[in-house]
Amino acid sequence: MTDTRGHFHQDLQSLEQNILDIADHCINMTAMAVEAVTAPDLALAARVAAEDEEVDRIYLETHNRWLNTMARQAPMGSDLRLMSALLHLNTTLERTGDQCVNIAKMAQVTKDLPRSERIVGMIEEMGELVSPMLRTAVESFVRRDADQARLLPEMDEPIDRLNRNMYREVVACGPDSMKLEWATRMMMVSRALERIGDQAVDVGEQVVFLVTGEFTEFADGHDGDRV
Amino acid sequence: MTMVDEIRATPSESESSEPVGARDQRANPEVPASTSQPVFDVEGLSVHYGSFRAVKDVTLPIREHEITALIGPSGCGKSTVLRCFNRMNDLIESARVGGSVRYHGVDLYGDDVDPVEVRRRIGMVFQKPNPFPKSIYENIVFGPKIAGQRGNFDDLVEESLTKAALWDEVKDKLKDSALALSGGQQQRLCIARAIATNPDVVLMDEPCSALDPIATLRIEELMLELKKDYTIIIVTHNMQQAARVSDRTAFFSVDVNDGGQRTGRLVEFDVTDKMFTSPTETETEQYITGRFG
Repeated sequence: MTDTRGHFHQDLQSLEQNILDIADHCINMTAMAVEAVTAPDLALAARVAAEDEEVDRIYLETHNRWLNTMARQAPMGSDLRLMSALLHLNTTLERTGDQCVNIAKMAQVTKDLPRSERIVGMIEEMGELVSPMLRTAVESFVRRDADQARLLPEMDEPIDRLNRNMYREVVACGPDSMKLEWATRMMMVSRALERIGDQAVDVGEQVVFLVTGEFTEFADGHDGDRV
Repeated sequence: MTMVDEIRATPSESESSEPVGARDQRANPEVPASTSQPVFDVEGLSVHYGSFRAVKDVTLPIREHEITALIGPSGCGKSTVLRCFNRMNDLIESARVGGSVRYHGVDLYGDDVDPVEVRRRIGMVFQKPNPFPKSIYENIVFGPKIAGQRGNFDDLVEESLTKAALWDEVKDKLKDSALALSGGQQQRLCIARAIATNPDVVLMDEPCSALDPIATLRIEELMLELKKDYTIIIVTHNMQQAARVSDRTAFFSVDVNDGGQRTGRLVEFDVTDKMFTSPTETETEQYITGRFG
């Protein structure tokens, strides 16, 4: 196969590598953030914040390079779809990093408050469900596997369910105001994890677009706003 | 006299009574329907120059008030196909056109069709601006005069130059030589000259390839204005130009046989948005992304 746009395609590969780097950071940060807030472990929380700075750096670099590539190369066909997906993934995964920071920050403000082990268990379970979702989303992107990407809404359902049930668990902490404050913070953690699940689904939608050329939102198996 | 009558030297009984548009969707059911009417209906078009087959099996409709771009690598036959739309290939002795090209339902290559009238209805703009070595005014009125029009042409000159976005630049020097104009102005003059005969269709064969980028953009902008009044078919090597201006795009490729003979063929024809974002055919995808082989 002769590639008459070799330099452009190298640029595309390099941009894609940036996105994969951000994705690796996000997968790592999600696990660290959940552990930091459930332990709680302030040192680990600080590492999440530090890693997010690297994510932000790559995000900005990717955005600037993306813009230059778009202006100079005027991509078409699958190259154009990849460029579109890269821009979308860059933004989505940068927000995933922000959600990890939001989770990690809760370690500091909740470290001296009484906890509900039941809620801690739910947060840990959500973390264990979200990490494979992110990995699946990234793998489907690397492999250009639309079928694998279409698995994501179903993977997201138990996370949504746990997030919805969190409200009930928080209310049950009611009589103890200190525990209620802790639980309210955990509801924000739950919400952040639910959002990360949605972002993994968004990545999957971009993969399907990249492969098929048709952009559709997946059937709503991930209604995170329902309480 | 109707448009169909005009291109006929003599009336014929052989004309299809099928309503215009009925065959259009059959010709290429993959192409989304449009509210605009088909101007041309091409089926199984092939062109030979002597024993050499330059193009084979081209089937596509051309719709009214749309810009259709013909793209593809060198030697794929896109200019050859373009010249079939106004019988320019007739001027080449060895050229032979097969299949059918129907213009508003009439066989353009029928025995009763007057090729001169065809070329009046279907104007053409060429790669290199080719104004006559006459004044700007005389360039515009040349065609109408040949066609037998008489009287005062001032209004026609102003209207044609205005439509070609050239009037403001030349209105005070209409008697000056057209050859004194810049390349971009000369090409717009050629467009004005083409539309002065009140055509239905304007064919453009690489109209911007000899122009600088600013003059190119002016021609492209002009094309988007002109499509309100005319149907435009453009051959271009510039994929970005096709993407910028056209409503539909036809991608041609070329087959090379063992003897090294190159024959063009239509690979894909679709709305331009789809052709440049997610074309159906692998060959199209490879061409627009620069990957071959």
